Amino acid sequence: MTQLIVKNGFVYDPLNRIDGEKMDLAINDGKIVGKVDEKKAKVIDASGMIVMPGGVDIHCHIAGAEVNTGRLLRPEDHFRDVEAKTAITRSGVGYSIPSTFTTGYRYARMGYTTIMNPSMPPLEARHTHEELNDTPMVDKASYPLLGDWWFVLEDLRDGMIKECAAHVAWIMVATKGYAIKIVNPGGLEAWGFGQNVRNIDDTVPRFNITPKEIIRGLCKVNKLLHMPHTIHVHTNNLGKAGNYATALDTMKCVENLASDDKPVIHITHCQFSAYKGSNWRTLRSGAEEIAKYVNHHRHVTLDLGQVVFTDTTTMTADGPFQYGLYQLTGNKWVNHDVETETSSGIVPFRYRRKSYVHATQWSIGLELGLLVEDPWRIYLTTDHPNAAPFITYPRIISWLMSRNARDITMKRINKRARHKSLLPSIEREYSFYEIAIVTRAGQAKSLSLTQKGHLGIGADADIAIYNINPELVDPSRKYKAVRKAFENSAYTIKNGEIVAKDGKIVKSVRGKTFWVNPQLSSPIEVADDMKRRFREYWTVEYENYSIPESFLAASAPISVKAEV
Amino acid sequence: MPVVSHVTCPVCGSFCDDIEVIVKNNVITDVRNACAVGAAKFLDYANHRNAKPLVRKNGELVEASWDEAVRKSAEILIDATYPLLYGWSSTSCEAIRVGLELAEEVGGVIDNTSTICHGPSILSIQDVGIASCTLGQLRHRADLIFYWGCNPWSAHPRHVERYTTFSNGRFQKSTWRAHVSRLGGILSKKRLRRAINLVLGRDVFATPEISRELPYNMFQKKRKMVVVDVRKTHSAEAADYFLQVEPNKDYELLQAFRMLIADEELDVDHVAGVPVETLNEIADVMIGCKLGVIFFGLGLTMTEGKIRNIDAAISLVRDLNQRTKFLIMPMRGHFNVAGANVVFTWQTGYPFAVDFSQGYPQYNPGETSVIDILCREEADAGLVIASDPVAHFPKKAAQNLVKNPLIVIDPQTTPTSLMADVVFPSTFVGIETEGTAYRMDHVPLPLKKIVEPPSNCLSDVEILQRILHEVRRIRSKRK
Amino acid sequence: MITLYPKRLFKAPLDAQCITPDIFAEKPVSKIAELQIWEGNQKRTLDQLFKIEYNAKNQSEEMTIRILGDVRKARRIGAKMSTGKIIIDGDTGMHLGEEMQGGTIVVAGSAGSWTGCMMKKGIIQIKGDAGDYIGAAYRGSTRGMNGGEIVIQGNAGNEVGCFMRNGLIRIDGNVGQFVGIHMRNGTIIVQGNSEGRTGAQMSGGKIVVCGHTPSILPTFTVDSIKSKVKVNGEIVKGPFYKFVGDLAEDGNGKLFVSQIQNPHLKFYEKYLE
Repeated sequence: MTQLIVKNGFVYDPLNRIDGEKMDLAINDGKIVGKVDEKKAKVIDASGMIVMPGGVDIHCHIAGAEVNTGRLLRPEDHFRDVEAKTAITRSGVGYSIPSTFTTGYRYARMGYTTIMNPSMPPLEARHTHEELNDTPMVDKASYPLLGDWWFVLEDLRDGMIKECAAHVAWIMVATKGYAIKIVNPGGLEAWGFGQNVRNIDDTVPRFNITPKEIIRGLCKVNKLLHMPHTIHVHTNNLGKAGNYATALDTMKCVENLASDDKPVIHITHCQFSAYKGSNWRTLRSGAEEIAKYVNHHRHVTLDLGQVVFTDTTTMTADGPFQYGLYQLTGNKWVNHDVETETSSGIVPFRYRRKSYVHATQWSIGLELGLLVEDPWRIYLTTDHPNAAPFITYPRIISWLMSRNARDITMKRINKRARHKSLLPSIEREYSFYEIAIVTRAGQAKSLSLTQKGHLGIGADADIAIYNINPELVDPSRKYKAVRKAFENSAYTIKNGEIVAKDGKIVKSVRGKTFWVNPQLSSPIEVADDMKRRFREYWTVEYENYSIPESFLAASAPISVKAEV
Repeated sequence: MPVVSHVTCPVCGSFCDDIEVIVKNNVITDVRNACAVGAAKFLDYANHRNAKPLVRKNGELVEASWDEAVRKSAEILIDATYPLLYGWSSTSCEAIRVGLELAEEVGGVIDNTSTICHGPSILSIQDVGIASCTLGQLRHRADLIFYWGCNPWSAHPRHVERYTTFSNGRFQKSTWRAHVSRLGGILSKKRLRRAINLVLGRDVFATPEISRELPYNMFQKKRKMVVVDVRKTHSAEAADYFLQVEPNKDYELLQAFRMLIADEELDVDHVAGVPVETLNEIADVMIGCKLGVIFFGLGLTMTEGKIRNIDAAISLVRDLNQRTKFLIMPMRGHFNVAGANVVFTWQTGYPFAVDFSQGYPQYNPGETSVIDILCREEADAGLVIASDPVAHFPKKAAQNLVKNPLIVIDPQTTPTSLMADVVFPSTFVGIETEGTAYRMDHVPLPLKKIVEPPSNCLSDVEILQRILHEVRRIRSKRK
Repeated sequence: MITLYPKRLFKAPLDAQCITPDIFAEKPVSKIAELQIWEGNQKRTLDQLFKIEYNAKNQSEEMTIRILGDVRKARRIGAKMSTGKIIIDGDTGMHLGEEMQGGTIVVAGSAGSWTGCMMKKGIIQIKGDAGDYIGAAYRGSTRGMNGGEIVIQGNAGNEVGCFMRNGLIRIDGNVGQFVGIHMRNGTIIVQGNSEGRTGAQMSGGKIVVCGHTPSILPTFTVDSIKSKVKVNGEIVKGPFYKFVGDLAEDGNGKLFVSQIQNPHLKFYEKYLE
């Protein structure tokens, strides 16, 4: 294994409280170490450059049935954005839904090394993992969709929290999942017959349970199992005017389940859940209310779901939401319901500067990013590709770091949206240290990926080096330089190997797939019960449902000791 | 006796996974749960096998070593300006992955059998989208099931029993019993008519007039099955209602339904030979159901109108969602044709007809699809895997395919393999080799290895990897 | 003027998108010869495939490219061109004038499918026949032809003007099915016969069929009988049945069909009294 020294860079490593200190990093055998033999090691001169841990993305749709149907749906998205094969890389296409290889390469070029695929229908998990096996350069994991799974609904309805935990533990192992994903709880089951739920206290048709009970129940399950991440929630009423109240209700309903200041719920792509008003015409930002709540309560983390003005593809497990989006746009619409588990939908979408709604959405994302005071609890995402493709992250970084950058965009957006936006009243500009938190350290912490998101001794040697000098460049004024630097890393190091250099892939590596293996203390016999009910619920056999570990090209199980 | 359970059936798109196979001394002796088509595959797969690699020399296919066959294949592909790599729908996803890498490496065009079955469906999905689901969703919830231009009774024999009308779901129950009792009534009616005809001396072979009237059970709240076709198939006989249409008029019919469910009036009295009053009644049934579904087959995709038939069908279903819940699904043929689309799409962005000639994927069926390329005589080499185009392609395309150097990878001797320049004996995936395949609703399931393959056969994955490796070796040497 | 002579008959497809007046105009002759062109999976230069003749008669004249010979395998000639002229004395291949933004293309022979697809401006004139998808959009896109003019003096195939948004397509011969499918706006006039399903799923625009058509889609409703129709300022004499549709798409497209050539449509007249 090669040894590396990264010399003289300005290191930003928030988990170890290193804020732009000029220092060297030693790497041996894929890990950060205290020291290597300077004569043997390859030296990377990072002087005048920023050194950060490799980027971590907590929420990006990059693989699986839904993403792939999005690819199939949109040849017009791909044909102008192509990547030819090289001696090292496979060919592929972009733009908003890149093919698997291209996804890996593009993340690596931006200095990202760990990415989380947040929506995996358990029945189609095998598909997700096949694609992850073909997504090079990055470590990854997937969250199975469990908020509308019949077993969960029935267990929680009957107050059987331990059985529910056992069922969830079973499905984590069966699907090789990493966290509990909840999407429009109850709404997706209702969507089976074309219905939806209206708020967290509405009853799910035919199941006699409310979304609140699902969220609270799975939150308890999550704690019982000691899952590394919190429950990962896409709220009810997503994308509807007035839904900030639902988002607040969702956060509040698990308030009393929190202890020791630890987060118990992650509200994902919060921008889509932060709308005031009663229709699109009267839409206003609810960012202030949400930020206020989050600033006063430590049990919540958020990610942005920041809109960028471009043509993209929306895809969520939220079937009724996607249908609404189809009705709004008239664009082509895909719906895919998954038996006993979940649903999904896809609609191509263009965010336009001149649209009042889209411009307001853009503003809300940034408002959230700037008004939530603690960067450790809000993460930079675009809910790729829903609010924008992930390749737009550098642009968002420049907006967060520079008021000037925001003002310039502000001048070009819809006038009414501009007048109503809170952004002009916000002075805050992120530092590089804070950027390092919202793009890697905070996300790794939230996911309990202890080897990721930092550069302390023993950490995985996943490192991004960006060619920008924080002593010479004022990011507020030179936001374009910031954007350019983050678009293509000077070096991306994965597992101690240089994989990208100046925006070119120089080595193709595979990347691991993390999954959680909960160890139940008192073995609750769910397998027999499940086998009995299996044929009633699904159209496949019990024995063909579980994915063997050997199916994963590079399996990285994380064992957790559960309380049940 | 050793029983292998939960076996997936590598035949049709229903991809049943509850098959039990009895094996004695590495020979399959019996099959349980499978339909006649599935059982035949498990019991007869061992006939007409390709036993050894073959290479054509002086006009004759003669036995050759693996190395020689691999080298010859690699040379054919390297020397080609526009090679075609075709087939893929009856092999595993693992093999398709290697196939795509090989196509990219040699700068060829790779296409799967969707190009001659549900290609038009894919093109119309790209124009208008699709509202679909997994099959279990329909088992639990569908109370109105259309089979349009397809004949599951013969082509997907367990489809109705496992996933739709005769399956038991959480919210919808099987109508099997009602069907059986109705069957008795229909049979006795038939007998009676025959007897009357005999007595009155009528022409017994004349086809009876089809009644257009909707039977009473179409207005009941329970599950209903409707078959739309140009002739009365076995499936039509099992249906609650059979809607016979004029050939090649499906487009008009579907569009007319779209008008009717929007409460619009038509200027014509008949569409596709059906009176508008009947259509109006059916439209009412569509709107009145809890969850409806249309399954469609090649009777819709490959008849006049092609992609636009599907365009109209999908649009009809989309419109129906304004009134109730409605879904639609293509009846995919081969057990892994859906998987071929899936793997093609994640690696290249496109589901079939992918052209790598310029080093990156390009896609435009009609331009980059294999039949069109062959008919225009543009290709100069071919690799065919797990498919038999000589038997199935239009004559001109087949003729132009065999004019060029041709490599065939197939477990069995086929008309295509007989015309090839190199033949590789492969194993049967799902019987002799493991893998992954996708059911018609895109649910991935494992293919199992039940028996050991013949000693001289290799899996598709291994054969393709060997060719790929050889191509790279020769290329780097030539450089 | 630059004249290109194909050096041989081509078998594999050529990606000839470099053959446009815009690209030629900005390069000296030596550089034109080096332009890259794909033949199947082989990278070639223009002069490997074509004999190039440079004829500098008149500097003020607009850039003209003339191709003498059979270039049926050459695709995307004139792609994205914005100025100048291409004259092809022979048959040409698919995607002629793709995304064209101006200038003129004249083909003495026949053209392939996707002629003028996604074009925005300019004129394409085909003296022979053309294939399918004239003036169409790329797969999955709704952005078809958005301006300019395509004239086909022979026959055309199916789906002429698919997802058309603006401009004019004129077909002097006969056409296949689905003329103007998913059309949003613009005009298509067919002097000959149509094989039917004209205007399917159109939401706007105008289609005129002067010849015979087997039937009108049930999703069109008859509006009136017009003695003449105006197409691009010119008067076309009728009488025509005027239909409106496609109502399944809540469309407001206008379909004019010759009354004299289509006596079997007479039953629609009962709705006009």
